[in-house]
Amino acid sequence: MTDKSTPPSGDALLTPPTGDALLRRQATRVRSELCAQDASWQGGWTRRTFLAGLGMVGVAALGSQLVTTRAAYAAPGTSNGNTLIVIFMRGAADGLRILVPNSSALGLDYLKTVRPQLIPASLSPLSGTPGWALNSALAPLLPFWTTGELAFVPGVSTAGISRSHFQAQSYLERGSDTSTTGWLDRALSQLGPGTTFRAVAEGATLPAALAGEQTKLVVDSLKNFVFPGWSGVAPQSETAIATLYRGLSGPLGEDVPATLAALATAASAQAKAGVRNGAVYPSGNFSTALKDLATLLRAEVGVQVATVDVGGWDTHTDEVNQLDRNLGSAAKSLAAFLTDLGPDRRKRVTVAVVTEFGRRVAMNASGGTDHGHGSVVWLLGGGLAGGAVHGRWSPLAADTLDSGDVPGVNEVFDVLGELAQKRLGVGSVSALFPGHSFSPLGVAKAVTLPMPPQPPVKVPLRRGPIPR
Amino acid sequence: MPTTIWPSIAAAIANSPHTAHSPMQWDPASLLLNRFGFGDQPAIRAELAGYGYDGWWARQLAAPTGYAAQPEIAAHGSLLGLTPKDVRAWLKANGNEYGWELMDQLTEVTLGMQAWSPAQLYESVVDFFANHLNVANHSDAVWTCRHTMDRDVIRRYAFGSFTDMLLASAKNPAMLQYLSLAQSSKTAVNENYGRELLELHTVGVGNYTEDDVKNAAKVLTGRTTDADYNYVYKSTKHWVGPVTVMGFSHPNSTAADGEAAGDALLRYLATHPKTASRLAQKLCVRFVSDTPTPSLVAAVAKAYTDSGTQILPMLSVIVRSAEFWTSRGAKVRRPLENLLATVRIFGYRPGLLTKTLPTLHWMSSSIGQVPLDWSPPNGYPDVAGSWRSSGTLLNLWEYHRGFAQSWWDGFDTIDLTTLYGSPAPTTSGAAIRALCVRLAGGPLPAAHQQALQTFLGEPASTPLTKSALRWYLGHLVPLILDSPEFALR
Repeated sequence: MTDKSTPPSGDALLTPPTGDALLRRQATRVRSELCAQDASWQGGWTRRTFLAGLGMVGVAALGSQLVTTRAAYAAPGTSNGNTLIVIFMRGAADGLRILVPNSSALGLDYLKTVRPQLIPASLSPLSGTPGWALNSALAPLLPFWTTGELAFVPGVSTAGISRSHFQAQSYLERGSDTSTTGWLDRALSQLGPGTTFRAVAEGATLPAALAGEQTKLVVDSLKNFVFPGWSGVAPQSETAIATLYRGLSGPLGEDVPATLAALATAASAQAKAGVRNGAVYPSGNFSTALKDLATLLRAEVGVQVATVDVGGWDTHTDEVNQLDRNLGSAAKSLAAFLTDLGPDRRKRVTVAVVTEFGRRVAMNASGGTDHGHGSVVWLLGGGLAGGAVHGRWSPLAADTLDSGDVPGVNEVFDVLGELAQKRLGVGSVSALFPGHSFSPLGVAKAVTLPMPPQPPVKVPLRRGPIPR
Repeated sequence: MPTTIWPSIAAAIANSPHTAHSPMQWDPASLLLNRFGFGDQPAIRAELAGYGYDGWWARQLAAPTGYAAQPEIAAHGSLLGLTPKDVRAWLKANGNEYGWELMDQLTEVTLGMQAWSPAQLYESVVDFFANHLNVANHSDAVWTCRHTMDRDVIRRYAFGSFTDMLLASAKNPAMLQYLSLAQSSKTAVNENYGRELLELHTVGVGNYTEDDVKNAAKVLTGRTTDADYNYVYKSTKHWVGPVTVMGFSHPNSTAADGEAAGDALLRYLATHPKTASRLAQKLCVRFVSDTPTPSLVAAVAKAYTDSGTQILPMLSVIVRSAEFWTSRGAKVRRPLENLLATVRIFGYRPGLLTKTLPTLHWMSSSIGQVPLDWSPPNGYPDVAGSWRSSGTLLNLWEYHRGFAQSWWDGFDTIDLTTLYGSPAPTTSGAAIRALCVRLAGGPLPAAHQQALQTFLGEPASTPLTKSALRWYLGHLVPLILDSPEFALR
């Protein structure tokens, strides 16, 4: 394609460089600096080899494929080696049957009057709290409470969240009602260039939180992240496509080589897949997605943010069975994920489990609950002020509810913003959540570690280098 | 230098520099059919040759509207002609009063019309305005009425006036539900619709104040739906009192005349010069390039204003501009455009609709572009930067292989050797060239042709009777669809 920085009028020589051209020049500088940095991580790989390998299949080594994007040009990479995983429970999970205010001081007496059948029969008290208890379906997570790798924030919402699934999900993921890109995309743009695997969405489609200009991988399953069709012609096909896109400018000129390179990386990571530390994943897509992420994280491919969607929380009927089955499966999957990573690796991984809103405090006529307001955020993994229930709480009573719902006494964007700031090193939280006045709750510890080494991972090439 | 607007399409083609954005080459037929349509087909090229470009365009403008241009697909949409009340009765009678059948049918019919309607220009314009006045299908409270927005607003006025379309949209039950106008009243004014009306549907951000939003919301109160999801104006819910929105003022002195006061505001906004330039900018991004010149945008906006907000004169300016005809390669196909162009270039017929349309539906879902399903009110993004995804690329490459190798149930089985055309090529190199002409609109640059030759692992001079193409044709064809020459348009 033609250079878009050249005005079509033809008097390019008289025109000062546009913002685009300046950014591109900066990008070249940033890119070469990062190449040098990467080269040092690659052991035997020289910088020249790496530069020559940019955009070529099978040449660049694991995790080193740089992805530069328009928005990333202005800021050099500031990745601290941490990963933020956002798990979205779509359908509005009932926080009051997940994290139960199990004392009079928290409002248990009121709960008994409006939803007695929905108070879990089996509860696991959370030590050191004024009476919070977990639904025992979440018992697999309890060991992480003890180690300070589990925390909760109840009564979470934000102004502008309605009781519509679609509106509320969209609002949360975009970070405001005026944003057309996702909040995680804007976080990535602040972090500067990263690897091909910097943003991974586990699922069929890109969630709105990642919508925007930053390159990301949507991975249905790591196992299926392969060149399609008959494998007998895959290497030759990849070679042909690489040649067809060589020298092309524009997004496709970046994305096609990055994708081809990611295939080799994914295959290498997949080749070393395998559950560690005695973790046991239950069956199901959610579990498989987490297992894929553990594989990628262990392979050190540079994942900065990842998203996983899990549905089935819209419990208008038969909530006791429906919700507890889902909670049990989710808890086992998350426990397996953290166990699989092991105590050291998971220090650099923080998980936030969110949902669009909570549910009505009172049970409805069908043994379920209707759409409500305040929900519960779960936090797992490293860097947390863990073993605690954070934020404010308004003890449940008829006159403290918000139209029959848990009031949103804690701001969801305060929680997500704090994780982005302290765990990822994002500088400006206001860019993530425009119009929101940021006031962290103290859910996370600031990053104090020096930038951890990205271990030079030696990867056997899946296929031979491309003949030029 | 202002963009030249020529008196006819033929003159624009004849007088524009015969250039394209690298690696694409000049090919006016491909350009036209992949911008004002969902993909190139030999049969339509023949129409272009037969009628001439101006003749083809005139025939497209005279094509049946609504769903009438493709009766086979239209028949698949058995619920789309019903009232919301009758849709609900049908859903109840068929097992689930809250079922998604209507919304699914609308998705599938839209995909079918885009892939197989002969009225390609109309479908392109419908798609543009369905996104401009977006109402997310598969969203809350539209499960019995979403089709009325498509049928009674977008399709009805796509070739008419934008003022009429806007007025109808502000009385459409799906729109009123989607943007909460149905829930707005004088005692609890909901600003959702009023804001999007100014920000997205008409003048655009930066041209109004927060007070304008509030006043727009107030003067539109009373517009709601009844229990059957029909539009009604309830004067008892209308806010009474003088309103000012930008340069518009209205005494709005009686609740009985409140609906007319709202219509007056809508007319004011539809005819506002900022609306003209905003629509023109968006149309140029849709049909010309991600970065159209201000001079083309101004010419398109002028056509809108001069014609009293008619839509077709804007398209006419675009298609007679030199800027359009030199823009081949300036747009990246969005994922759904790539998928549909693949279906069309092979000449697949609608086939067994109960299989083919659901197949297109899940495919469009896996690449993140189910038509009408964009959830926020701003419509699907129209620039390449918003569509970057490795997963989508791999999915599209899979669909290229699947359609080349006839994987999908309900579709025809394609004999790929028919793609060679006549006279039949006799060598490997000539065969590749013929396939590129057939599938990508022209021979590929030498380096790209060579990449395909290398894939086959034989010299170009190899006789076709001895060529690896005898076995690898089904693997070479998708590579042409993977190429930048097919990914761009």
